Amino acid sequence: MSALAERNARRAPKWLTRHETLLALILIVALIGLGEFNSRFLTVENLLNQGRLMTEIGLIALPMTFIIITGGIDLSVGAIVGLSAVMLGYSWKNFGFPLPLAIVFALAVGGLAGFVNGFVITRVKVPPLIMTIATLALYRGLAEGISQARSVRGYPEWFYVLGQGEVFGVPTQLLILIVLIVIAGVALDRTTFGRSLYAIGSNETAARYSALDVDRTKLVIYTLSGLASGLAAIVLVSRVTTTRMDMGMGYELDAIAAVVLGGTSIFGGAGTIWGTVIGLVMIQLLKNGLALTGVKGDATIVVIGVALILSVLIASSLQRRRE
Amino acid sequence: MKARYLLSGTAAAIALAAFATGANAASKWDGGDELPTSALECGTGAAAAAAPMKYDGGQPTNPPALAGKEITVVDVPKLIGIGYFNATSKGIQDAAKELGNVKAKTDGPTEAKIDEQIKFIDNYITSGVNGILFAANDPVAIAPVLKKALSKGIHVVGYDANSTPDAREWFVNQSPFNGIAKAMVDAMAKETGEDAGFAIVTSTFTTPNQARWIAEMQAYAAKCHPKLKWLETVEAQEDNNLSFNQATTLINKHGDKLKGIFGMTSVATPASAEAVTKAGQCGKIAVVGLATPNAMKPYVHSECVKSVVLWNPIDLGYAAGYVLRAAVDGKLKPGDTSVEAGKLGKLNVINGSEILLGAPFIYDKGNIDKFDF
Repeated sequence: MSALAERNARRAPKWLTRHETLLALILIVALIGLGEFNSRFLTVENLLNQGRLMTEIGLIALPMTFIIITGGIDLSVGAIVGLSAVMLGYSWKNFGFPLPLAIVFALAVGGLAGFVNGFVITRVKVPPLIMTIATLALYRGLAEGISQARSVRGYPEWFYVLGQGEVFGVPTQLLILIVLIVIAGVALDRTTFGRSLYAIGSNETAARYSALDVDRTKLVIYTLSGLASGLAAIVLVSRVTTTRMDMGMGYELDAIAAVVLGGTSIFGGAGTIWGTVIGLVMIQLLKNGLALTGVKGDATIVVIGVALILSVLIASSLQRRRE
Repeated sequence: MKARYLLSGTAAAIALAAFATGANAASKWDGGDELPTSALECGTGAAAAAAPMKYDGGQPTNPPALAGKEITVVDVPKLIGIGYFNATSKGIQDAAKELGNVKAKTDGPTEAKIDEQIKFIDNYITSGVNGILFAANDPVAIAPVLKKALSKGIHVVGYDANSTPDAREWFVNQSPFNGIAKAMVDAMAKETGEDAGFAIVTSTFTTPNQARWIAEMQAYAAKCHPKLKWLETVEAQEDNNLSFNQATTLINKHGDKLKGIFGMTSVATPASAEAVTKAGQCGKIAVVGLATPNAMKPYVHSECVKSVVLWNPIDLGYAAGYVLRAAVDGKLKPGDTSVEAGKLGKLNVINGSEILLGAPFIYDKGNIDKFDF
């Protein structure tokens, strides 16, 4: 026993072999490398701007981490972004809601869309993959039908503070994201709610027999996912000054990529918010750094794909060594 | 006394009937929009000069003095990898080669997503290009990032799909809506004769460009070919199969009354031509429409279709390249009325800050093989 412990200690401290630590090291090396190539990359201005651009995906990736830790998935988030964006514009223009009320309404629509996902998943026992593929089509269809594929424009100037403004030199939406990252990180790590997500993901039956309210927990996280998508929609509308029904298309894959790259197991039971954040930053800055170095768009996608595969390989080999 | 009442009653009824018919004639074709139209003059006469508009574009803030010096330009179309934007990209490269002091490259999203396009432009602003050419996926959504480019002293010129005017300096307009409408209706009247019935296959009744074209076509037809009879407009998304089915239905439904079909999208036009071919109505039903040459070559060669209306996208990209260079060199300033664009000669400024490429291009049997997109 003591011999084993000694050997472990000699090999490497545990925190160093964690996926997040390795990923953070890779990220730093990549940043310095890309910074060497291009003097415009490692500037405060560019990094803050990238923070602005990644906020929408970041907002969605937080509850997505929760969901994937429980062994679920939410593919409808991009469609909820589209639906919430359309409802924001539609309720403001056609119902005559004042804009603050329209914002609350759009958030509520997002939350409701997520709640419907969670409700059917827990009550009817539809697998999350199937349910959210169905609502991916359903919500996008609603967005198209309600908007008649027309966009709503001409929002008042104050609304753009959210998506284009700055507070203390930092993009407004990035501050919101940072606050929510801290809340989500603490909630996952330090609360009963957070720990029960791991329990559900590791063994749902065992979690049920341990008197955890599995269904209610799931209902909460899918609703949170809808709410976060609604918030992302509002930030996005404010950033691009218009609502379109095709907003958020493909966001589900970007968010899931960030979560999985960050070391959350797609089978559930393992993962952290910090990992997701590193994954998110890594994808955004890789794309940006490569673009600035003169790599064209199609080649950038290839590099991101390779990075994802490498990360999964590293994660699984670490897993094996631990076992 | 009674007779007088009767008389005035009859007169009123006739007036009412006349009014109703008049109103009916003035009702709009399905699929057109309600915006004001401005039909061009009939025949080949030059377009009436529109009232000159004040320059309404935006200007870069303290652009570096680069007149005559080499500049790097990035072209961010709606999406890359399709024939149409390959052709505009080729035009830009042609212009860059001719000018000799422009380094241009095309980069953009692989799907026509506004969010991706914004990120591409944002990255190129940071990388420090001197000029940006764009074809917007959304005129309003793209505006903030273009304004950011202007604020960093970068020259911005659009082509193909505009942004809000104050977010770019100039926009190269491939063909104004009323120009396309005139070319389409003139071609139809020439092929079917003046008093023929025709139908329209469009994408949806609310698609902005198509709705604008249809409204302008109605205005121009009412002015110059008043006997042409509109039968109906059908929606076919931009779906190949649906377009074919809709066109076939039109042929069966209207029989001899149908002498022509307008295809409003690059999908509807070849599908309509296919439907006419399959129905054995070539030569009896004319197909006139917007389409790319490659899709139309078989029908043009089989003489089922005589004229395909579109602008020349290579010229469009070429003109955009020249306009950007002229803006950088200070040869094209707010208030100017024309610009030199290499082999295209002098292009006119319209609508304040738009450069008009010219009349739409008609592809026919004689020239269609020269184009590959």
